[in-house]
Amino acid sequence: MSTLRIWLTQALFIFLITESIGQLLEPCGYIYPEFPVVQRGSNFTAICVLKEECLQQYYANASFIVWKTNHVAVPKEQVTVINRTTSSVTFTDMVLQTVQLTCNVLSFGQIEQNVYGTTVLSGFPPDIPTNLSCIVNEGKNMLCHWDPGRETYLETNYTLKSEWPTEKFPDCHSKHGTSCMVSFSPIYFVNIEVWVEAENALGKVSSEAINFDPVDKVKHIPPYNLSVSNSEELSSILKLTWNNSGSLRLKSDIQYRTRDASTWIQVPLEDTASSRTSFTIQDLKPFTEYVFRIRTIKEDGKGYWSDWSEEASGVTYEDRPSKPPSFWFKINPSYTQESRSARLIWKELPLSEANGKILDYEVILTQWKSFSQNYTTNGTELIVNLTNNHYIASLTARNMVGKSDAAVLAIPSSHFKASHPVVDLKAFPKDNKLWVEWTAPRKTVKKYIIEWCVLSDNSPCVPDWQQEGGSVTRAYLRGSLLESKCYLITVTPVFTSGPGSSESVKAYLKQAAPSRGPTVRTKKVGKNEAVLEWDQLPVDDQNGFIRNYSISYRTIVGNEIVVNVDSSHTEYTLSPLSSDTLYMVRMAAYTDEGGKDGPEFTFTTPKFAQGEIEAIVVPVCLAFLLTTLLGVLFCFNKRDLIKKHIWPNVPDPSKSHIAQWSPHTPPRHNFNSKDQMYSDGNFTDVSVVEIEANNKKPCPDDLKSLDLFKKEKISTEGHSSGIGGSSCMSSSRPSISSNEENESAQNTASTVQYSTVVHSGYRHQVPSVQVFSRSESTQPLLDSEERPEDLQLADAVDSRDEILPRQQYFKQNCRQPEASPDIPHFERSNQVSSGSEEDFVRLKQQVSDPISKPCGSEQHRLFQEGPATGALGAGTDGQVEQFESVGMGTVLDEEIPKSYLPQTVRQGGYMPQ
Amino acid sequence: MSQIKNQLAQLNGSAGPLFISYYTAQGEPFPNNVDKLCGPNMTDFPPFHPNGTEKTKLVELYRIVAYLSASLGNVTRDQRILNPNALSLHSKLNATVDIMRGLLSNVLCRLCNKYHVGHVDVTYGPDTSSKDVFQKKKLGCQLLGTYKQVISVVAQAF
Repeated sequence: MSTLRIWLTQALFIFLITESIGQLLEPCGYIYPEFPVVQRGSNFTAICVLKEECLQQYYANASFIVWKTNHVAVPKEQVTVINRTTSSVTFTDMVLQTVQLTCNVLSFGQIEQNVYGTTVLSGFPPDIPTNLSCIVNEGKNMLCHWDPGRETYLETNYTLKSEWPTEKFPDCHSKHGTSCMVSFSPIYFVNIEVWVEAENALGKVSSEAINFDPVDKVKHIPPYNLSVSNSEELSSILKLTWNNSGSLRLKSDIQYRTRDASTWIQVPLEDTASSRTSFTIQDLKPFTEYVFRIRTIKEDGKGYWSDWSEEASGVTYEDRPSKPPSFWFKINPSYTQESRSARLIWKELPLSEANGKILDYEVILTQWKSFSQNYTTNGTELIVNLTNNHYIASLTARNMVGKSDAAVLAIPSSHFKASHPVVDLKAFPKDNKLWVEWTAPRKTVKKYIIEWCVLSDNSPCVPDWQQEGGSVTRAYLRGSLLESKCYLITVTPVFTSGPGSSESVKAYLKQAAPSRGPTVRTKKVGKNEAVLEWDQLPVDDQNGFIRNYSISYRTIVGNEIVVNVDSSHTEYTLSPLSSDTLYMVRMAAYTDEGGKDGPEFTFTTPKFAQGEIEAIVVPVCLAFLLTTLLGVLFCFNKRDLIKKHIWPNVPDPSKSHIAQWSPHTPPRHNFNSKDQMYSDGNFTDVSVVEIEANNKKPCPDDLKSLDLFKKEKISTEGHSSGIGGSSCMSSSRPSISSNEENESAQNTASTVQYSTVVHSGYRHQVPSVQVFSRSESTQPLLDSEERPEDLQLADAVDSRDEILPRQQYFKQNCRQPEASPDIPHFERSNQVSSGSEEDFVRLKQQVSDPISKPCGSEQHRLFQEGPATGALGAGTDGQVEQFESVGMGTVLDEEIPKSYLPQTVRQGGYMPQ
Repeated sequence: MSQIKNQLAQLNGSAGPLFISYYTAQGEPFPNNVDKLCGPNMTDFPPFHPNGTEKTKLVELYRIVAYLSASLGNVTRDQRILNPNALSLHSKLNATVDIMRGLLSNVLCRLCNKYHVGHVDVTYGPDTSSKDVFQKKKLGCQLLGTYKQVISVVAQAF
């Protein structure tokens, strides 16, 4: 009950709402015409009529009407107020397809309210359809087409009407406006009238009616069950049979082609004008597969050709081969002198010439004026052993029907020399084929053999070949050629007597850019140039004829320079280049079709050219040497001057005056060695040192220089300065001094006859009395005189040895307190003077041990350098001679017992002891 | 006139297959008793005189075709019910009826245009709607048998 109450309430509410909305939606006026359709370019007028109640409600009239098209107010010039409630608007030359036209009113003179609206359509009336035609697809209903004319821009209905004189057929309403398929089956042999009616809002038109018999508009179903059969009697015919649809008489159109052909051959239409279901094709090639197709049309030619039937094929029967095979031979070069191996080769006959399946080949070899040899094979080559004589080879191909004509080839004797080659041999690509062209030799040519193979570094040249007639001078290679491959093509003319000379040429079917660029490297790099070299590209990478190379080089910051180089070169010199610069080089190889860059290569030019360093250094060295030499020469020439600065003159002690010399005067220096040596107290001689009057006045500086010089002499030569054997090693040094040293010593002695305190004993002759000669010079000769503390120290070491202070005096810095090493020195001298080299070596060994320890580093160096300077290097003869001289000197000393002076040893000098 | 001849040739060519298709589709005993069941012994079939004038032949042809067209219409209607799966038979019956419609139009126009004959009285066969199935099949078979025989004569007459 409550549900019913709710339902009634809702229904009442909806009713009231609907009623109120209906009152609200009631328009205040209308536009006439309500659904206007206007022809394009024509004028159009619409009127808006307001209701009276609205006029009062809104305090408005027709003058308050505002027309709008597509929400844009219409100019007042186009608006006309007809009366109090009606306003009209006029449009000229309507061009828009659709226009929204609204009538609005200004209520209370201000508020614009929409009164009514409509859509104005514009377009064209339909044109009269033209070109009406119909087709009857067999098994389907009739389909008619027409041309509707220009676009109407309006909804237009096209109706295809058809009728017999006695009957009308259902109309066909088109969906597309250009064609329509009727709904009834076509009835042949009755004329039917067909026309098209076109109608839209602006008009209705009809096309011209066409009257025709549908049977004349038929497109038949294609023939079916097409079959092909051959005849064993005739290898040139094939018979076709097929079925036609329907019961009408039809004529046929037959086409055929070989299986591998693309174009069809037309059977003359007059041969198939009559209705038939079979036909025999003649003049066909034997053993060839043919493909056929067929179509039909009504016998009188009216209507449409049917579509082509499905293709059917058949093979004609075999016939004997029409041509002999191409025939050639190859002689194996590596064979014995008495016989040779020949490889006879031939080509399989093309199907058009074989005329059937080739069962086998028969080869007959006939030696000159001799018997024949027959061979039968299924293959296309035959290897036979031949003598060196001339042969005639003939080849025939056999199929099921018969044999071909024989191909005859002369195989000349092994001594035959080929001649008469073709001339002007050229090869070039054309139409995607590689053509060969030549000029025939003057001799009559029976045929030409063209051979070709791919040149490659990776695979051998496997030749293919073909045969051309003797009158041919141009042919294309019939093999499957590849692009970017280099072909070596050889043309050999064949005469009746045998093959002629061959000519070859290289060619490409199609060139391409190289697969890779050449790898460039430097052969030689100079300061301002670099010689680049590269290898020719392998033929597999060339992909064409290399026409030229381009070398691109640049520095890191510089512009790239490109140089083109002829393809025949394999090296190139880049010049000028900057020294000490990194260059980057890239090389490209170009064919006719493009180029390819190789890897980039870098090199650096040197800072100096080759030999440039030598050119600088050698002169500098030479100049240095020359300067040094000049310096030496200068020094040599100016040695006196230099000597004056380096070795100042030492006052000659020999020219000094000895004021007093008392043998009782206690020795200031204890010369221990001499003490031992002259232990018996015999002192045989006294040296008198005289100082020349013309000597320069000695000065302490000179002495110091002398002192230094002595040190140098000790350290470098291992000898004392030669001043009276005052050195601790002085007594033994003469035996190992060199001549130069002697001379130096002599020179020194000539000017530095300073002082000498020696004994006169010799050869175990011990002087009985120690005699000392003392210089009278007041010049401080020795450091010991200036430094008596050294002497005191020496006395403290060995108070017994009275000679030691004297020895220390001459020894300068040598602090060796013991004089015992002097003893072996004298012994060694004696031994050397009278002994052999072995004795000397032994002596040196004996000497070195006791001296090396106490005498410090300098003394130790003395004996190390001594042998190097003369004892071992210069030989013992000189040393022996020196020793002898020394010995002689001592003998002289014995003869002149007054003194033991170096001056007496040799002319102008002295020999240190 | 050539159209009439071609139509008659069409009918003559299709009458035999139609007859065979019909009795084959009816099943036994029709295929094995064609002569007995399908013999051309219809008494009300319009006559045809091949030796008459063209106008007479056209008038008689018109009556024959009108009779056949109506009768084949009934047969077609019955076969759709009796042998709904015999589509080949249905197709042949429809094609024959259509050809006869066209032939009637052509003959009428020919009579009208050449001989100014605007109307021809025609007769129709018995209504088979009330017959039993066998009678329907039998009457249809007899009709097609007669049609096959008559149409060959008519085709040769023109």
